[in-house]
Amino acid sequence: MNSKTCFIGAVEIGTSKITVLIGEYTGRELAIIGRGECSSRGVFKGMVADYKAASDATHSAVEQAEREAGERIDYVFLSQTGSHLEGFYNEAAVNVKASDNMIDQGDVRTVCELAKAKELPVGRAVVHNIRRPFRVDGRLVPGNPENLVGQRLDVGYWTVHGQEQRLADNIHVIRGFNLEVRELVLASLASGHMVTSPEERQHGVLAIDIGGGTTDFVLYRDGAPHTTGVVPVGGSHLTNDLSIGLRLTEGQAEKLKLRFGRAGIITKDKAQKVWLDGNFAIGDRQFPQLAIEQITSARIWELLEVVKKKLGSSFSPQTCASGVVLTGGTAKLAGIAETAAKVFGVPAHLGEAPTWISENLRDPSYHTALGLLYYGVNAKAEKTKSPRRRGGLLESVTRLFAQS
Amino acid sequence: MSPDNTNVPSTRSWRDISQPVKSRAMSRGGRVRLVLAAARSLAFGLLVAGVAWGCWTVFEALQHDGQPKSAAAKTGPLKTPELVRSHDGVLDNAWLVRTLRLPAGISLIELDLANLRERLLADRQVLTAGLTRHFPDRLTVQITERMPIARVRVKESGEERDFLVAGDGVVYLGSGYDVGILRTLPWLDGLRLARDGTGFRASVDLDPVARLLVAAQYSAPHLYRTWQTVSLARLVLDRELEVTNGQGVTVVFNAKGEFFPQLARLDFVLERRDRLQMAGTMRIDLSLGREVPFTIEPSPAVEAKSVAARAPTPPATLTFQLRTKREL
Repeated sequence: MNSKTCFIGAVEIGTSKITVLIGEYTGRELAIIGRGECSSRGVFKGMVADYKAASDATHSAVEQAEREAGERIDYVFLSQTGSHLEGFYNEAAVNVKASDNMIDQGDVRTVCELAKAKELPVGRAVVHNIRRPFRVDGRLVPGNPENLVGQRLDVGYWTVHGQEQRLADNIHVIRGFNLEVRELVLASLASGHMVTSPEERQHGVLAIDIGGGTTDFVLYRDGAPHTTGVVPVGGSHLTNDLSIGLRLTEGQAEKLKLRFGRAGIITKDKAQKVWLDGNFAIGDRQFPQLAIEQITSARIWELLEVVKKKLGSSFSPQTCASGVVLTGGTAKLAGIAETAAKVFGVPAHLGEAPTWISENLRDPSYHTALGLLYYGVNAKAEKTKSPRRRGGLLESVTRLFAQS
Repeated sequence: MSPDNTNVPSTRSWRDISQPVKSRAMSRGGRVRLVLAAARSLAFGLLVAGVAWGCWTVFEALQHDGQPKSAAAKTGPLKTPELVRSHDGVLDNAWLVRTLRLPAGISLIELDLANLRERLLADRQVLTAGLTRHFPDRLTVQITERMPIARVRVKESGEERDFLVAGDGVVYLGSGYDVGILRTLPWLDGLRLARDGTGFRASVDLDPVARLLVAAQYSAPHLYRTWQTVSLARLVLDRELEVTNGQGVTVVFNAKGEFFPQLARLDFVLERRDRLQMAGTMRIDLSLGREVPFTIEPSPAVEAKSVAARAPTPPATLTFQLRTKREL
């Protein structure tokens, strides 16, 4: 183990489950060496409602992961979700200063600062400033526009912000275990980064992560996140609907959902019934399959409709050529891809982790934690690379001679 | 999204949220980690401090002409060495200063103690010597001295010189002794000397002589005071010592036996002689155990002789047998 090796914890505090993955990062490679899971407590719709319960559950998962890894976490990448997260778009344009119309670093910095300079309401804090591609005289520039020639430089930022108290609650849960939160990553960005390929993102793709209490989505266009959002509805609502509709306890409803729930109706026979437990024990009873499918499919259809409505004009089948990718625990519901395809009018499929992810981590419920690690590490690598390019030793020496 | 599209927010960001939490908001595991982290920080701090101290020490040492500045090097010039002698010793501080011959202004650390010890032991009066440094500027010297049991006159290069003889056979000049005390020491006659370094050493074992003289000195001091010569002429062959006093009495001691009974018999014989008022040179042989033959040569009173060494008196012609004490 070299001196640069660090152990990064990816923590997803979900409504139904808390997942912790530990990655051993050497500066070049990332290896996942530990995993911890725990049923979530004290978390409601992705937000910490009971600090003590949420802390205990999270710390238990962290300890489990550290035991499996045999190492201590150095710092944490924490996923962030919840209905308090909102986003807005703001853009700015500058006229290129140079007489030869060549864009320099100053132009880029100025236009970026202008585009981000939007005041937030009191009590809100920025989680992400996601830059959309530059435009030079209306022409799309996927990369850095520096040294290109043009008269006008445009850029827009999708700013995700959330309630400061809610963000602090999540951070303090991790700090309660004396761990530093190094990166706060939107859950939709983490899972979307994991289940979509760069080509899909370039062509346009909508990634929807349906969790237990929330549904996070991110729409990619031109290779970059275009719009993100959170809907405070998830798999637990399906369970709740079944519980009310069929007069069941939460546990029984959850069991029925997992065994017989569908995102579409395929049962024609109204008399077709399914057993609650199937063991014919006392208390075991039958329920109409059609009723189960009607309840779950209606809720899923509604959920996807809400997502589509939230996307508004940002989404259109023409700008989302790669279709919809579904992930998260509720994405395992049968027939959900077909329903999504019908709702959005584009092809839809279940997201899969890249092939180099080991088999025991390929379940959709791990996509967010995996994405946290890879997204966070890439962001970290970019941050450490940039200053070196700008202020390396050679440049310092050159500047020294230039001054003298 | 690719990470290069994300810039650090310029407005209030989640990074502005204070992360530390109070101890009560931490779980037990968190508190344990906190303590461990603090311990690690402390250990690291100590390590850094240790390294810094080490660097500073090396730097300080280099500042002083490239030589480490020890506590000893910080000392000033040495004070006069102190002599710690055994209770019966006669050597004094002046002798010590003379013998050590220390250069002025020398510091304690510069002393070569082994060499100084050699210098002290070169004086054959010194039996053992120990030197101890007491920083910053004191040197103490512990010595034990040889005690003289007799005197001997040695003719060397045609010149006669008087030496003292210690019980271990070492012959030395001696210094610091009271002249009056030295005059009470008997002379040794017939002693063969051998060269020993720069001095002399008795070639025979002087242990019987030492035992006799010590016994006489402490058991019969009135006899010892009159003894002038102890002859070793017959020591090797007959294991006999011949003592002559200043009153013309020659006594033969058995060197193999105990001296205390022999001295008692001598005292008895001399007392009887005085009581019987028998005058003349006398020879008493104590080497035969309970039988003490003695001869008396009737002659005028023996004149007192000088303290100078002289040959033993020749034996008398008359012989008496001292059978028992009762008969006498």
